[in-house]
Amino acid sequence: MALVFPVLEHALPNGLQIRLLRDSSLPVATLYSFFRVGSRNERPGITGISHLFEHMMFNGSKKYGPKEFDRRLEAAGGSSNAYTSNDLTAYYEDFASDALPLVLDLESDRMASLVIDDASLAREREVVKEERRFRTDNDIDGMMDEALGALAFFAHPYRWPVIGWMSDIERISREDCEGYFRACYAPNNCTLVLVGDFEEQPALRSIEKLYGPIPSGPPLPKVPDGEPSQKGERRAVIRYPSQAPAVLAGFRGPDGRNPDSLVLDLIEAALSSGEGARLKRALVYEQELCVDAHVWFGWRMDPGLFQISLKLNPGVDPARAESSLWAELARVCNESLPEKELERAKNLVRAGLLRALQTTNGRAHTVGQMEIMLGTWRAMLDLPDRYAAITAAEIQRVARKTFAPHRRNVVTLVPGEQPE
Amino acid sequence: MSDIALPPLAVEKMPSGLAVLGIQKRGLPLFHARLSLPAGACEDPRGKAGLAQFTTDLLRRGTRRRPAQDVDDLIESMGAQLAAEVSMEEAALALTVPAELAERALDALLEVALEPAFDEHEVSAARRRAAAALQSDLDEPATVAARALITLGYGPGHPYAHPPHGFRRDVESLRREDALGFHATRFQQSGALLALVGQQEPAELLTLAKRKLAQWQSSWPGHSQRQPLHFSALLPGEGLRAVVVHKPDATQAQVRIVSPGLPKTTPRYFEAVVCNTALGGGFTSLLVDAIRVDRGLSYSVSSRLQMNRRAGLSIFSSFTKNETLRELVDVALEKMRGYAQSGPSEQATEKARRYLAGLFPMGLESHEAIAEQVADALLDGLGLEHLQRYRSRMLSVTSEQARAIAPEISPARDGALLIVVGEADKARKALAGLGPIEVRQLEEFG
Repeated sequence: MALVFPVLEHALPNGLQIRLLRDSSLPVATLYSFFRVGSRNERPGITGISHLFEHMMFNGSKKYGPKEFDRRLEAAGGSSNAYTSNDLTAYYEDFASDALPLVLDLESDRMASLVIDDASLAREREVVKEERRFRTDNDIDGMMDEALGALAFFAHPYRWPVIGWMSDIERISREDCEGYFRACYAPNNCTLVLVGDFEEQPALRSIEKLYGPIPSGPPLPKVPDGEPSQKGERRAVIRYPSQAPAVLAGFRGPDGRNPDSLVLDLIEAALSSGEGARLKRALVYEQELCVDAHVWFGWRMDPGLFQISLKLNPGVDPARAESSLWAELARVCNESLPEKELERAKNLVRAGLLRALQTTNGRAHTVGQMEIMLGTWRAMLDLPDRYAAITAAEIQRVARKTFAPHRRNVVTLVPGEQPE
Repeated sequence: MSDIALPPLAVEKMPSGLAVLGIQKRGLPLFHARLSLPAGACEDPRGKAGLAQFTTDLLRRGTRRRPAQDVDDLIESMGAQLAAEVSMEEAALALTVPAELAERALDALLEVALEPAFDEHEVSAARRRAAAALQSDLDEPATVAARALITLGYGPGHPYAHPPHGFRRDVESLRREDALGFHATRFQQSGALLALVGQQEPAELLTLAKRKLAQWQSSWPGHSQRQPLHFSALLPGEGLRAVVVHKPDATQAQVRIVSPGLPKTTPRYFEAVVCNTALGGGFTSLLVDAIRVDRGLSYSVSSRLQMNRRAGLSIFSSFTKNETLRELVDVALEKMRGYAQSGPSEQATEKARRYLAGLFPMGLESHEAIAEQVADALLDGLGLEHLQRYRSRMLSVTSEQARAIAPEISPARDGALLIVVGEADKARKALAGLGPIEVRQLEEFG
């Protein structure tokens, strides 16, 4: 499968990376601003600042005051959103294509001259605390995920949640935010991706005019990489008044640029993509232990986690479900994946890549994601061939390396009253 | 902003009542097929809430030609995942595959939809899975709130008054005969629509569809007699009444305020949508501004119109910590009651209609989205014109029209229902004085 994407690459003297992809099939466009900063760039005491700061980016800048960013954008036929991960922070606008000049002006203005005041920080802090209560404190998946990070990583910043610890969200000050902005939001730490209905050269000239005067900043400090090797299985138990137990297991894996990551993508598909995937077939349909069995493996800047979530049927003993899970993982380690299953996994991953490119936003996100995580958008062009070349022997090799019992990190949710 | 030209497409109504739709989409080498059937949750018989979903979920658990595992292999070996969705009106099966697998995909889709085996062993296992999933869903406060608002918002006896997945008490009683009977009477050609989206010309797609359908012509029922559904009008009540669904140990309360709304077929669709967007759509609406931006009370605030074909609801949704529950409810009620009186300003109307018109094309981009949008427009009786003239109609809504409809779409009218999913004692204390409060148990909505 040869993908053809005429992406125009450009960089400004201040270090801003620009990627443009024109497609005039509909009168719309998407602009992404990817900043190479996420919770891995934080330190204890201000965990969650990347995410809180993402919220602050919508609270006014020099030219467009409080509430103006989205008001102007929506009035021009657009909408905005953003997300923060362990590794990056991404802002995007979807819009009617004739709103491009406004969108570039809005985005460049907040990169050049964000205004942070105490009152808006106080309100946004409360919003983020509500988000944390929603996604973590009152959500089983969220509370288990947070426990798994703290279990699997001793030294690396991946040990704290992206949204941050509640006490840190309370503590982050305006000065912290201002320092964070100066350090992390310089143009040399950003990749701009514009996809959709526009003329390339005029768009490029506008970007140069608006972003060119913004000074570059010093490079971000290197993230400490002192994570010791894991010497044995680690466990945590959460007691919570839930309807059913749950198990979340994590195995430390490679970073996103390591070729083994692609092998783990295929293992993920073989284990949990589709109803015929191994874990679903065995644990959901045949043994009736789980409501759902789900694997998540995402590329990360530093060695990350291969996660397996089992949402158990009410009354099922977690130990029984775990033992079935370990048996399935052992099968991947000890028996060669049959050709039919390998092809199935490759087809599912390949089709997923294609489907992600169907929308303007999806194409812009994929180009930026490839730039940040794999170093160049061109990585997307040969990904299908790289997946196609993976053999059953490689699956077995990476599975053995990853799923060794001493590398297990296991969080168990036990239904019951919360301890005082 | 001008109207959007839909991609080249063709529609043909067969003598059986089945509509076939071909949409040409160049670019990525993908093929999408979607079969919509008049087998939605509103068709669930009394005491068997969840039957449409149960039957649809069972389709892939084995056909007369192959067992469940082989069905999975057939679909997933193509890189596809079968979507099986049940809305109030329809059951829909859909899948997307690389373009070269179009014929195989269509064969698989039709086999799954029209030749299910409903093997006794699979039916029993599906019943246990559905019951476990329903119980498990009670751990998600937002899901419980969504289930409660449908059940209580439409009220007893209304065909829309239950979530598509039904209730555990009903699902546990479902048997093979129920699924067989539902499939025989609701998975019929009359009222169904097969949509294909691919790189070929629309006429070629229709030819492909008809060639494949010819194999099923004799065995697929054209039209079955069924009892007509009775959709009683949703009557406004008086004052405000509250239902608290007890979720032990919750530190945050999910809040919904719901009133009778409008059906999707309302001739005032565009003004209703503009009016609602100014109230609680987008990020700069009145409610988001008052609750999130000005007061920091919640992360998420919205109002929306749940528009089914024959009835709808107006719904306010948010959540906040237990300590600020009353403040959030007071602000929401005050703003929405005021809005019912005054409606949106000229500026807010202009912002809402440009926001909706500007982003509209993005809802037509993917193969899945264009198939669903066009199929829905046809099945809802709105016609292609609904999409073809969407932008100009949206942009022509006046602030007078938006103001005039505000009293009918504000969720906080007389008789509104306030639903809170959270810790009951704390919620009851917080809501004291607002109106009668009834505490219900979580299990009632699972």
